[in-house]
Amino acid sequence: MRRPGVIEKDMTGIGTLKDLTSVFESLASTQVAKVKSKVQMSKQFFDLLWQRYTSLRVDPKRRITERPGVGDNGRKVLVLISAEAGLSGDLDMRMIESMQSEYDPATTDIVVLGSHGASQLSQRGIPYIKFFQLPETDQYIDVSPVIQTVLPYEKITVYYEEYLSLGQQEVRSINLVTHIQQMSEGANEDVMTDNDTIFEPSLDEIADEMEASMMSLALSQTILQSGLAQAASRFNAMTVAEDRAGELLGEYKLEFHRSKRAESDRRLREVLVGIKKKRRERSGT
Amino acid sequence: MPKSDLTERLNVVARSPFELYFEGEATALSATNRIGDFDILPGHADFFSMLEPGEIIVTPTEGEPVKIDTKSGIITVRDNQVLLFVNM
Repeated sequence: MRRPGVIEKDMTGIGTLKDLTSVFESLASTQVAKVKSKVQMSKQFFDLLWQRYTSLRVDPKRRITERPGVGDNGRKVLVLISAEAGLSGDLDMRMIESMQSEYDPATTDIVVLGSHGASQLSQRGIPYIKFFQLPETDQYIDVSPVIQTVLPYEKITVYYEEYLSLGQQEVRSINLVTHIQQMSEGANEDVMTDNDTIFEPSLDEIADEMEASMMSLALSQTILQSGLAQAASRFNAMTVAEDRAGELLGEYKLEFHRSKRAESDRRLREVLVGIKKKRRERSGT
Repeated sequence: MPKSDLTERLNVVARSPFELYFEGEATALSATNRIGDFDILPGHADFFSMLEPGEIIVTPTEGEPVKIDTKSGIITVRDNQVLLFVNM
């Protein structure tokens, strides 16, 4: 059995760890609330923008599908939106495992956002053609470098993590182009034409600008969703860690008290043996 | 050309993906597009334009003018409903 002093030292360490995980848990919880409101705002913005876009006399399905720059090499690109750092549970690992079912090195390239996903890919020996640091979600998300990279591909699939609840996060994948098209379903806005509306500089340029913005917004939304899921996963990981630290602390306390008791029993035994010895000496045996 | 009704008001919503800058009634709005500075007043013709980087000024019916710095944006005006999508 370990000595009480040693156990006490370990208990202090575990106590500090428990306090730390509790702080991380609170931070993750605050982050969840913050990102959740951003996701909602971004969605409202997208809906409004889409509403106005559908009022233009352009066929959104045709324009976005036949966007300029699409190559004819038949290659597709998988965009992985992972965490910027660890401590987000096993979400990134699950996402990579899910992606591997679709990944064919002969026809597919990988673009990864977030250092954690990049390191996980490297550990598995899966090559990626480009890595981007995760954009700062506290403010304006500039995804234009990512969009520029993926636009030439025929098919763009984005893998991201979706927040379902604080206790549940799932890996999702979307075809970016189809996803934008699907968002148009149900839109019923009156058409704005050259006859009754002033377009500056021109209808086509405005439509192009809006399409580029919507593509960026769709990608930004998946980044936000991933950020939310990662924050929730981090919250869960920290809750589990705090619970485990609490359990350990309980076990250590029990061990400490047993050890203290054993030590006092040992001392008592020594005293009793000493007394017996003295008695024997006095009786002259 | 129809004259603007002085009792008319603009209903303005100005927002970026993560921020609502202004939502409410206004008497005027000033911004800049590729052609130059322009003002939107109640009764303005339906209008769709890309915005140049600069400052948008919304003059609400009550209170001080609201200034919005923008890197990029789109403005749409339809039946006195003004939607400003900025910093996308």
